[in-house]
Amino acid sequence: MPVTVRIPTPLQRLTGGNSEVACNAANISELLEALEKEHPGLRERLTEGGKVRRFINIYLNGEDIRTLGAETTALKDGDTVAIIAAIAGGSGRVTSFF
Amino acid sequence: MSAPVLRIAGPDLEIILEHCRRELPNEACGILGGRDGRVGSVHPVKSASPSPSRFVMDPKGQFRALEEVSRAGLELLGIYHSHPGGPAEPSGIDLEEAFWPATTLPNYPGAFQVIVSLREPAAPVVKGYVPVAGAFVEAPVIIDHRPFPAD
Repeated sequence: MPVTVRIPTPLQRLTGGNSEVACNAANISELLEALEKEHPGLRERLTEGGKVRRFINIYLNGEDIRTLGAETTALKDGDTVAIIAAIAGGSGRVTSFF
Repeated sequence: MSAPVLRIAGPDLEIILEHCRRELPNEACGILGGRDGRVGSVHPVKSASPSPSRFVMDPKGQFRALEEVSRAGLELLGIYHSHPGGPAEPSGIDLEEAFWPATTLPNYPGAFQVIVSLREPAAPVVKGYVPVAGAFVEAPVIIDHRPFPAD
């Protein structure tokens, strides 16, 4: 049973509109390679210099891979990997209140 | 197609405002679940590195909040955050972070951005926006006193 990968909406045009794809890989790095083979263009949108981009969170069964082994995090059959855009922003202004 | 409007019950808006005030002087952030433009649930999320001028949702908290919305049978209807010292208008940072880099594709299509200005904490200003083609378009936020509809 392969790994199930959840694809963020802006990248689903690279997966034929699918929100989930199946993949065989032993770790996150291999998964990113396998995704690129099946869906060209995905890896460059997800990584920079071999590392997952700052604004992207990848979760293995709900755990942020940055708190596991990052790109070396091991995968097993039946795992679910979710690729989700980080939510961030801010006013960019600093005002003293106190 | 009618213009998007965000409808929220008074008590739900109060949860957001209370969260934003509690986090002062730092920015607060969270997720709104709902459907058909009606907010059905509010999910405050911790900022990974609290700051008066920036927020980044704690990755685990963000995931948990999105799962809660999904488990409740709702959709991600919106994302809220505060501007403690700025207007209730999207900043350049808000714009940059809401779209996939080098594209005009919103990271969360259709999700409202709700910005709470706390320049005057006792008189907060709340405004809504929707991401469209690389920009934000203002969308009204309306207090709705009707109960949230069941499935």
